[in-house]
Amino acid sequence: MQTASVLYPDLQEAFIHLVNQHRGILHKVCRLYCITEPDRQDLFQEIIVQLWRSYPSFRGDAKFSTWLYRIALNTAISDLRKQHRRITLTDPGLLPAELQDIQYSGEKEEQLQLLYEAINRLTEVEKALTMLYLDDKSYQEMEEILGISQNNLRVKMNRIKDKLRKMTKEAAYGIGKP
Amino acid sequence: MELESLKTIWDQLEPQPTPETDGQLILALLQKKSRGPVARMRRNLIRELLLIIVTYIPVILFYLVEFEGRLSAISGLLFLLGLFFGGYYYRKMMLLKEMQCVSCMVRSNLARHVETLKKYTRFYLRAGTLIIPFTAIYVYTILHWKLPRASGMQLYHRLSPAPWWTNSIYWLLFLAPLTIAIYYLNAWYINRLYGRHIKKLQELLREMDEE
Repeated sequence: MQTASVLYPDLQEAFIHLVNQHRGILHKVCRLYCITEPDRQDLFQEIIVQLWRSYPSFRGDAKFSTWLYRIALNTAISDLRKQHRRITLTDPGLLPAELQDIQYSGEKEEQLQLLYEAINRLTEVEKALTMLYLDDKSYQEMEEILGISQNNLRVKMNRIKDKLRKMTKEAAYGIGKP
Repeated sequence: MELESLKTIWDQLEPQPTPETDGQLILALLQKKSRGPVARMRRNLIRELLLIIVTYIPVILFYLVEFEGRLSAISGLLFLLGLFFGGYYYRKMMLLKEMQCVSCMVRSNLARHVETLKKYTRFYLRAGTLIIPFTAIYVYTILHWKLPRASGMQLYHRLSPAPWWTNSIYWLLFLAPLTIAIYYLNAWYINRLYGRHIKKLQELLREMDEE
């Protein structure tokens, strides 16, 4: 934060610089909480607007990424207008475009497809936890972002891991598909 | 499949930096208005308030000036209603303002959102129901005290066996079921507007709290 404000004395420039640095987080949130491209764009825009509104009150008490995760997840989770469009993903053809573009080895690609399918069947809270876990956040950071105690987070995370394992196993054997 | 083993692949999903394009995109997005539910509710509220102001002021002035001021009580009624609406919109606006704290922790923001939304709907329901008896009683008062009596009315009252307050009782008898009906109609409408949203937020909150 300090570096950004020194490098960019203009508030807007500093904001753009910081968001640009961390935009991977925003893309991941949008990808996890929305299936279609228009929905993702809507959510991305909404998160940027909310970030910009809250930016003047950001004092740097928390890390910028923690602050950004909070706003992105709060916006994605509490904005439930389009639930009908954020349906369970079962058709591999509906996978996020970025995922389809990435050239992975067959095995990795298959694993990621299964992961995305499974994550899309999780609840909004579970999605947030999974994302933070995959982003290698410590339980303390997760607590700072989500406001859930670390003990509770551990219990939930173990449950999610089991759930994902079970779901991906089922998907691999074709169980639960239409 | 283990989540642990997917961390590396997940990390590679990070888009490659293209600062100029992304900077321009973010700059363009900063000029846009929020399309979130709370922002839309606020915008709708402002539109409603403007509509009330635009329609009430000319009517208030009309009844104040026309008919040699004999129907100025109607202006008074509309002015009181206008004050009621002013308070109503102010309270709603304040509630919407405190509804979200996007930079707070996700759990506390959800709790705040649910609590304020419940307050908002309670206020909506009470105000929407109270406006009916309030207006009806005021209209009755105007009709009773301000309008000139029909000829022979006094004689009718003197000869009629029914006491003078019978009319008020009829008004109240009509008003009570009407208010109850309006209450249920409002409750249904508010539930249709916000019920599912509140329920979903409560579910999320419960899920966050359960161990």
